[in-house]
Amino acid sequence: MMRSHAERALPTLVIVGLLLAWELGVRAAGIPAYTLPTPSLIAQTLWLNAASLGHSWWVTLQITLGALALACAGGVLLAGVFALSPLTERALMPVAVVLQVTPIVAVAPLILIYVDSTHAALLLCAWIVAFFPILSNTVIGLRAADPQLRELFKLYRATPWQRLALLRVPAALPYFLAGLRISGGLSLIGAVTAEMVAGAAGRETGLASRILEASFRTETPKMFAALALLVATGVIIFWITGALSRRLLGPWHASESAAPH
Amino acid sequence: MQRRHALTLTALALLAGPALAQDKVTFATNWKAQAAHGGFYQAVVDGTYKKYGLDVTIQQGGPSVNNRPLLPAGRIDFLMTGNLLHSFDNIKNKVPTVVVAAMFQKDPQALLAHPGQGYEKFENLKNAPLALVAKDGQFTWWQWLKVTHGFKDEAIKPYNYNLGPFLANPKAVQQGYSVAEPIYVENQGKFKPVVHLLADHGFSTYSTLIEARADTVKNKPDLVQRFVDASAIGWANYLYGNRKAAAAAMIRDNPEMTEAEMEASVALMKAQGIVDSGEAATKGIGAMNAARIKDFYEQMVKAGLYKAGDVDLSQVATLQFVNKGVGADIKGKSGGK
Amino acid sequence: MADASAPLIQLQDVSKRFASGTAALAGVSLQVSAGQFVALLGPSGCGKSTVLRLAAGLEQASTGQVDAPALRADATQPTAFVFQDPTLMPWATVFDNVWLPLRLQGVPRQQAAPAVQQVLTRVGLADFAQAWPAQLSGGMKMRVSMARALVTRPRVLLMDEPFAALDDITRQALNSDLLAWWAAEPMAALFVTHSVAEAVFLSQRVLVMAARPGRVVAELAIDEPYPRQPAFRHSPAFAQACLQLGQALAAAHAGEGAPA
Repeated sequence: MMRSHAERALPTLVIVGLLLAWELGVRAAGIPAYTLPTPSLIAQTLWLNAASLGHSWWVTLQITLGALALACAGGVLLAGVFALSPLTERALMPVAVVLQVTPIVAVAPLILIYVDSTHAALLLCAWIVAFFPILSNTVIGLRAADPQLRELFKLYRATPWQRLALLRVPAALPYFLAGLRISGGLSLIGAVTAEMVAGAAGRETGLASRILEASFRTETPKMFAALALLVATGVIIFWITGALSRRLLGPWHASESAAPH
Repeated sequence: MQRRHALTLTALALLAGPALAQDKVTFATNWKAQAAHGGFYQAVVDGTYKKYGLDVTIQQGGPSVNNRPLLPAGRIDFLMTGNLLHSFDNIKNKVPTVVVAAMFQKDPQALLAHPGQGYEKFENLKNAPLALVAKDGQFTWWQWLKVTHGFKDEAIKPYNYNLGPFLANPKAVQQGYSVAEPIYVENQGKFKPVVHLLADHGFSTYSTLIEARADTVKNKPDLVQRFVDASAIGWANYLYGNRKAAAAAMIRDNPEMTEAEMEASVALMKAQGIVDSGEAATKGIGAMNAARIKDFYEQMVKAGLYKAGDVDLSQVATLQFVNKGVGADIKGKSGGK
Repeated sequence: MADASAPLIQLQDVSKRFASGTAALAGVSLQVSAGQFVALLGPSGCGKSTVLRLAAGLEQASTGQVDAPALRADATQPTAFVFQDPTLMPWATVFDNVWLPLRLQGVPRQQAAPAVQQVLTRVGLADFAQAWPAQLSGGMKMRVSMARALVTRPRVLLMDEPFAALDDITRQALNSDLLAWWAAEPMAALFVTHSVAEAVFLSQRVLVMAARPGRVVAELAIDEPYPRQPAFRHSPAFAQACLQLGQALAAAHAGEGAPA
């Protein structure tokens, strides 16, 4: 379905409108910059500190994407193992659930004590947060193959490997992609939370540490600038996973067909 | 008829004295309650604040707590800060706060290390593989240590008021107040740590500063004066008078503290001349002078933490409330114990 | 083509009891040879689908003998199964769906392409090789399903009410096409349906089944020669056959039928 230009511009217009309201509201009310800076001041601060904030952005991005990649690998692998061995699934699923429900804010300080490398500790924290949706969704997906298709494969004497590669994996793809979408955002949240707890410094200074630092030094516009970068990261990840989903599922999956039936 | 009633009520109110006209004041500290906050707690429990017409609530800080934004936001009235760097940052960022008194003439901020690990010399501290520093310090004096003394960020791990990581690792160093942490280390770790006072290596700032909003100073100078005076007297009473009630109040706020530790801390404060040494001996507790603030700022500029014109020093502190001799006489009165 | 060679599908006194306790079949015997088109006609629950699934090796008989190429180790006589749903892989194109049986045998795409394209042409979908199942109508999807069934040139063609979900017009068109596809190769066709008219139009023998327990209660031979024209539907012989089958079904329902 072809969206009109107006429809496509709508989200952008809403954002621009909100930013405008923010800018004018703060100016009108005379709110000082150290309480709530205007978007123009934030943009200015972002520009002035582009180099250092950019470096921090890269650090946070590395952790986020690294954790996401590991969550994919771990989640898919484990889901495959669970699919092949229901016994293993029954044994290990509770462990996965525990990982999911444990608040990372509580666990992060412990991990930081036990793991030597700060980078590895941050990766681990972000991974814990991002891993479960991919595992859970892929497990369901691997079970989601149409029973009649399964019978067809049996009839044609497919090997277990053929069954996995040609039937179960494609059938699982929409579920995996749904999990990936969720985990994309979660890996960012996990990375930022871990960084906040770690108060990581030095080479490993990601955006969260810069936010902390700015708050301790009463540099509120810088806090917001770093926050804006974090938000941008989250949005970009969301958009990329969405585009991936559209690309892979577009021609055939109900979730991606634009026109309502 | 009504006006006469009003007059009568007003007269009664005035006659009743400060008990009825108490100003409610919130004072936030920068750490969990310890002997280094003793003077303030003393003024609460021994009625000094009350005598000065103040109903003071002390809001405790902590290793990860950041009470600082509360002051410009109007949620607290006075703030305790650990060093002048906080004030420099505020003025640099046009946050309208000002220092009104300096309770500590010497900053007890120190680095502790295990004995016999080669850290007897200050220069070796920077090579420690692990430095436990809390957030507040990480963004102030640690930055100065990095530039002036070559410390490295790679070593930092957060100090969460837990001695465990330091005790477990002989090569670790951690932050502390020279009048506090060494006592805890001796109690828990059963050894006397090596203590390096930052003040001995160029960190010449005042400490335990009282910060207020600029508009409070402008519009309610009388309130500020009362708070500063009462706090100074509270400190004198705490150091030389009966501390029991203050100790109990601090333990209520921070149950991990013990009276024995606090007593040892007070002894160290006196021995190290933290509170009433130097100028404070004559000019009263809380004394400040502009030259020292300027000197400290210039050192920080040299250290690269600020650029020359970043901070308008005239806005950093005001001397109008101190240097009046308040609290200087109590030591003599109680025999200087 | 009434080629009476040795039976390809053979059930002898087969019973099937499911784990839930349901007696799906009791004492069913039937035979289908190559070149024969046999219909299994009966109401829901009479076990006709179960017979088909036994012949496909998708179920095991509780008692009795089942003999069919699908149950044998060697794969020289392929079996094809057509479900009531097209059962296509939605993530694959029409080409890939039809290629699947060959692919599972290890035939690479390039090598399989001519056979796939040929069978697609046969079912009338020559231009749709790159289409996605989501883009096709119900009838077209069923044709793809048929194409997939035919691509291995099966010896046994098992069909479980494949046209039940389609409208009458499409259904009748597919009936005629199915006869053409079946006639092109010497295969044994077993067709399950609950439509009397469809059974009569398509098959040479109609086995009527009754439910509870599932058993064959009547058999009717339809002598109309192949190829059968749509006009057959309007002939007296057709009407007669439908009448007889209708009566047999009613009798079966009343429980008076004895095993054939």
